[in-house]
This record gives sequence, C-alpha cells and structure tokens, in this order.
Amino acid sequence: MEFSFKETLLYVENLSVAYDGNVIIKDISLTEKDVVRSGVNATGQVIAIVGRSGRGKSTFFRALTGLVPLHTGKILIKDFESNDPAAAKEAKEGDIGLVNQKYTLFRHKTVLQTLKYALRKSTLSETDKDKKIKEYIHKWGLENCADKYPNELSGGQRQRTAIIEQLFSSDKFIVLDEPFSGLDVGNIEEVKQSFDLLCTLSEYNTVIFSTHDIELALRLAQSVYVIGYPTINGDKKDYGTIIAKYDLREMGLAWKDYCEKHDKLYDEIVHQMMNS
Amino acid sequence: MAVWIALVFLIWFIGTSGQKHLFPSPSQVLEGFQGLYAEGLVVHIFNSLCLCFLSIFLAMVIALLFAYSWPIPLLKPLSEFVTKFRFLPFTGLSFYITLIIHDARNMQIWIMVIFLTTFLTTSLIGVIKDIPEEEFDHAKTLKCSRWEVLWQVVILGRIDYVIDAIRQNLAITWMMLVTVESIVVASGGLGFLIKNSDKFMNHGRIIALQIIILLIGLFLDWSINFLRKAIFRYSTI
Repeated sequence: MEFSFKETLLYVENLSVAYDGNVIIKDISLTEKDVVRSGVNATGQVIAIVGRSGRGKSTFFRALTGLVPLHTGKILIKDFESNDPAAAKEAKEGDIGLVNQKYTLFRHKTVLQTLKYALRKSTLSETDKDKKIKEYIHKWGLENCADKYPNELSGGQRQRTAIIEQLFSSDKFIVLDEPFSGLDVGNIEEVKQSFDLLCTLSEYNTVIFSTHDIELALRLAQSVYVIGYPTINGDKKDYGTIIAKYDLREMGLAWKDYCEKHDKLYDEIVHQMMNS
Repeated sequence: MAVWIALVFLIWFIGTSGQKHLFPSPSQVLEGFQGLYAEGLVVHIFNSLCLCFLSIFLAMVIALLFAYSWPIPLLKPLSEFVTKFRFLPFTGLSFYITLIIHDARNMQIWIMVIFLTTFLTTSLIGVIKDIPEEEFDHAKTLKCSRWEVLWQVVILGRIDYVIDAIRQNLAITWMMLVTVESIVVASGGLGFLIKNSDKFMNHGRIIALQIIILLIGLFLDWSINFLRKAIFRYSTI
C-alpha cells in the first residue's frame, strides 16, 4: 500500500533517566512522523516497544509522559496549536497521555464526570465539550455506562474510558504500558479495536505501547523498537537503550495480515531480545 | 448468628435460675432497665451521644489537618509525632487538662478530642500511605497541579475511607466516652450511670447499662457503614 511520511510528530534525542545516580535508560533517540496512506482518511501511528523485563520500558514511558525528570536529552512533540506544520514543543507532564496496566481512573468519578474533567483545560465551549463527550461515548460504545463508577465497569469499558480520558487531556499522544498483560482473548480483541478506532479518529493520533507478546506487536504496530542492554566493544552495559528498530511500513509488512515474513521478523526480534 | 445468640440467652436463663448465682438473672437486668428508664435513661443517652459526636467531629477536623499535611516534608514529623501520643496513659494527662480547663463539660470534650485525634491521625495517615503511586501518576497525566492532585486523589478520592476510619475508631470513642464520663462528672451520661450503679453494687443495672452501651455502639457502627455505602456508591471497602 502506498504511503508517505509527512511532518515529525515525536522526536526523542539522547534521552537518559537516572534514579539516585543509577542510570536506568540512556541514549534513547527516535523519530516518528505522520504517515499518510493513499485512499485512507486517517492512518494514525501505532508504535510497539518490546524488550525483556527490567530493561527500562516503563521508565522510558514515565520519561515520555513527564512523570520522571530527564537526566539528559529532550522530547519534542508536534505543536498542534501553531499554524506552522513544522512547529514543535517540548513535551511536559500531561502532554503525552499514559494508560497503565490497571487502567487507573478516578474512583469517585463516573465515566461522564471523568471525561468532563479530562476536558476541563480544553479551549472548547461547554456546548462543544458536551457534544464531543457524547460523540465519543457513542463511538466507543459506552452509552450504557456513562453514569457508572470505575468499580461498576467491565475491564473493556474501563480500558476504553481510560484511553478516551487520556486522549481528551493529552490530545493525540497516548502511551499504553503493557495494555494486554493479564487480559483474556476477548479483552485483547477489545484493545485491538480501540487501537483501530484511535487511528481512524485522526491521522495524528499516535499510540505507543509496550508488550511481551511480539506476535501481537507485529500484528498491530507499524514500528517496533527493541529496548535492551547494549553491548559496546564487547562489554555488555547495564542500562536500557534502543538496540533495534523495525519499520514495518518500509519493510512492506504494515497493515497486512500476519504471514511468513512476519514470522521471520519475529525470530529476529527474539534473537535481539535474548542478546540484550 | 441467631443460633449463637439464642444459645447465650439459654445459658443465661439456666445459669441464673438457682437461688445463688454470680451473674444477675434476666429478671434483675429487666428491673435494672426499668429503674434506669425511671431515672431518665433517654436524657443520659442523649448527653453521651452529644459528647460522642461533638468530640469526634472536633477530633476529625484536627486529625484531617495533621493527616493532609503529612505528605508535606516539612510537616511530616509533626504529624508522625502526634500519632505517637496514642501510647500515653489517659489518666495522667487528664490531670494537666483539668489545670487548664475548669468547666467539667469542656474538660470531657477536650480529653476526648486530644486522645481521639491521636488515633484518628494514625488511621488517616495509614489511608494516605496506602494510595497506590499510579493514582498520583494518573492525576498528573491529566495535567493536575499539585493542589489538584491533593484534592482529587487524597481528599475527594479517599473521603469514604475517612468515614470508615471514623467508624473503626468509634469503638475507641465509645469506650473512652464512658470512662471520661465516669472520671469527670458533668451533665450525666452513660458513664455516670455505670459509676453510680457500680458504687451500690447494683449488678442488674450494670448489665442493663452494658447491654445499652453495646447496642448503641453496634447501631452507630451499622449506621455509619450504611451511610457510607448509600452516599458513596463507588465505595467498596
């Protein structure tokens, strides 16, 4: 399928994070651009981060979302408020939404209250906010639970609410930390559908997720990054960094059914992970 | 449960049916109830409940201030210091309170408030400590300022826990109340009645009072739990 890269949406340069002088991740750099496909209204970007446990995936996500201070480096995202298409701004806390494994929500707010709260800083008028909330509640199949509290929601409803909430607040960028962990087949399908829906809502929507399921990463993502411990001059380091990147669009494997070529790539990613 | 209660009553009836018995018989307890009612039991219960509610309200306000300032590094030692006071003996300190406060009713209230504050602060700090890190992160990702995080996650997000902390500490309040009323005699109350009954070795009345105190305590516990669940539908403590 024909596609082209447009402006940069996310730019990470030499990112490193350290806790009490202990370096967790280092030298992480990546660039993700808006992708436009011919004949498709909105493509969206789905990026997978894979790697063995303890290699710094969650720390990387916390850094992206501004929850931990950066030791070095910078994170830039497209500035949607500027008229200049190339305008970028430094990502601050709240600019990139985070959905964790538990799909945390405010326990004292109903779905409707949650979404209203997420839009509280939006420049939209109250009428437009209500309209937007109604539209999303309808599209994401949450009509029957608008007045329910998180403890009254099913896993799927909770996850959809958490995604919309973060999307409303952050606008366009969402990071999901192991969204498939501990889910049954039905729930996994629901998350997959949510990804599809996110991508069709806006071409700028960018979903970054981590997973231990490489096959799922290859089925869903257009870019796969492997985070692991690098080996430099024969010396294995003890901090996480990006050791490999696979652009499935350029490899002709994105937006396609899973096939033999995906299987080969699967083996290669496993090999990369085992050596890091 | 009903079977066990029935069994207790059966043992009570049989155990006290003879001429000599250590524990008062049901008829003696019934007489105790009648005597207490004639002496204005309802007014005494009302006085005790007023003291209970007033002191728990004041203690709650003070304990919340200590607990909510606990996350602030500068004030943390002060809040933790307050919790240590719950190990202080009750009687010794009440002597100093009597030197400062001369009115008997106010003295009762402030003895209760001081001691209750230490217990409630301990419970409330425990509630805040148990808030998972991801709830704070969640609020931060929604662009909440630090005050909004405190308001949404700690205050609004845990208001049902605060009510449950009151319920759990109610047993201590109720127990302390009877002791305080019997030490400092002001405007009657259940503690005053127990002290008087004890003085005259009226066991029927003592057991009748114990039953009343137990039932009121259980009712208060049930009511607070019921209110918490009714007001906060999301509360699954």
